[in-house]
Amino acid sequence: MITLTNLSKIFRTELIETHALRDISLQINEGEFAALTGPSGSGKSTLLNILGTLEQFDDGDYQLDGKSVKGLSDAALSKLRNEKIGFIFQSFNLIKDFSIYDNIELPLRYRGLKPAQRKQRIEQALELVGLHARRSYLPSQLSGGQQQRVAIARAIAGQPRILLADEPTGNLDSLMARQVMELLEQINQQGCTILMVTHDPDQARRAGRHIQIIDGQLSDAVLYDPLAAQSA
Amino acid sequence: MEQFIYYLKVSLISIRRAPLPYALTIFILSVGLGVFFANATFYYQLNSDPLPEKSDKLFFPMLNLVPYECSTDCRTPRVLSYSNVEKLSQTDIPSQAAAMYSADGYLRQRADQTPLPVSIRITQRDFFAMFDVPVLHGSIWPDNSARPEVILTKATAQKLFGKSDVVGEKLLLDDRNVTVSAVLDDWQMLPRLYDANNRNHLSEADDIYLPLETGYDMNYLSNSQSQTFDDTDYRQLSTQGRTGALHQLQYWVKLDTPAQQQAYRQFMTNLVQDEKAAGRHPSPPNNQLVAMRDIVSYFGGDSSDIKAFALVTLLFLLVCLFNASHLSLNRYLSNQYEFSLRRALGASRSQLQLQMLADVLIMALFTITGALLTGYGGIKLMNNLLPANRLFSDWDLTLLLGLLTVAVICSYLVTLYPSLRASFGSLNQQLKE
Repeated sequence: MITLTNLSKIFRTELIETHALRDISLQINEGEFAALTGPSGSGKSTLLNILGTLEQFDDGDYQLDGKSVKGLSDAALSKLRNEKIGFIFQSFNLIKDFSIYDNIELPLRYRGLKPAQRKQRIEQALELVGLHARRSYLPSQLSGGQQQRVAIARAIAGQPRILLADEPTGNLDSLMARQVMELLEQINQQGCTILMVTHDPDQARRAGRHIQIIDGQLSDAVLYDPLAAQSA
Repeated sequence: MEQFIYYLKVSLISIRRAPLPYALTIFILSVGLGVFFANATFYYQLNSDPLPEKSDKLFFPMLNLVPYECSTDCRTPRVLSYSNVEKLSQTDIPSQAAAMYSADGYLRQRADQTPLPVSIRITQRDFFAMFDVPVLHGSIWPDNSARPEVILTKATAQKLFGKSDVVGEKLLLDDRNVTVSAVLDDWQMLPRLYDANNRNHLSEADDIYLPLETGYDMNYLSNSQSQTFDDTDYRQLSTQGRTGALHQLQYWVKLDTPAQQQAYRQFMTNLVQDEKAAGRHPSPPNNQLVAMRDIVSYFGGDSSDIKAFALVTLLFLLVCLFNASHLSLNRYLSNQYEFSLRRALGASRSQLQLQMLADVLIMALFTITGALLTGYGGIKLMNNLLPANRLFSDWDLTLLLGLLTVAVICSYLVTLYPSLRASFGSLNQQLKE
């Protein structure tokens, strides 16, 4: 489903060049739940952003569903993001003065769906995350875990081919984090491919596949444990 | 449409987030546009063409036909003597022609009534057709001969008789009997280009109209501009005014084609040559044939105060635009996170530009309202400061549409750069913060 071939990304300033990603080659198959781990600054968020087409890469190739995204226009990339990719951010990124319903509706509006179609998808997504009764609430009226569930509902309402989650439980306590993880597993079981950046070894273990990145390069698939790294 | 209504809703939510900076942006833009609107109104009206279909066909001929030899100032007089007009009339090249001047008088129905002061346009028959003057009742004089008949404006008729249909009624004009032959419908040619001497084109139309020959018979002297080049007693206008060197007549001719205009120029040249040959034209020839659309600038009657104001208000508008744009930029940058989120969720830049158009529409609505209110106040203020321009402070449909277009463009400019900056920001950075 996702094929990366010798993908590289360099951040340039006037003084220095930083190789954020070097020769990354990776295949993620349909229906996988993969965890992407690595120390801070290792390039995992950059990789996730490139996969989400939020950022350009310098060399190599990225194919989504057999089609290269390189050189696509802004409109084509927007369409791709809207139809095939769902995002879950660490800080939820909900619009604070939009209701829960309006927040989930956002990507569906840009797809040009009719009001009845949008309503059906939003209600299905709210049903899945268990927040149907709170559809008219504002985000500030919900707990952190509930807000992240809204963000997940927004991501899945568009029925994407892949869900990209950037530390989705990073701002949550352990109970809420566990609920969010269970929800992601449930979504994965329904056939949606998920790639999740995490610092939490337990969560990484729960994923079916573990991808580790260090200094911008893929490492052997050994689980990165920040506690172990600290003691070493 | 449903999507655009959604964009409008999003715009209103965005305004609610930070109403004060938004109100300040609207205020600055409204003041800049309002001041500009007020001045643009005068500028537009003063420079408008009251007879666009024929302003290039109506001409004002002037001859340097005076009984002295000029040495330093050889400018052609702006007015003509009665005999010069007679000479200029001895051709059938113009399809219409009318000489005219204005005078003051008193009008009443009976000798025991208090007289009403009136301004009199003393002119000839073709005046009314040349300048598209509408007749409400009665008919215009059949020829240019003297006759004790006056034509009243509708307002004068109502002032004197309390009604407009007063054809055939008797009046006393400076205690001489005259009959009303016609009543004009509401009419105000602005600017009044047929009388551009001494910036009279800014003033209101006259109250009554009297045949030229009757005006001379009744010894009416011009109240605006006259020049004399001999020592004749012009208080006896009816006798000596027709032959002496008193210049007080403006003369207009209608020349429909370039060929007619060329022929009339040639006629004027031949006339001057004949006059020189007869020893009556000692000055060098300096004939002028000025089109109506150029007459104000020819007489140096352009409103320089309005032009200066135009420049100042334009600069002021630019400063306001710059400030409003800066405020708008701050507002958009503080919302940049939302732009990035929308893009991440699949909005293309063109979809964000549609959102921007909704912002422009709402800003334009507020700005137009504020600018029209400020502009109205500005016009009232300018009418007090420059009362001579008072007649030129009305908004017509063309002007209003023009002003609304300027307001929408300004709203667009104030929104364009900030929204582009916001929509081209780095997506991942904004979403990570």
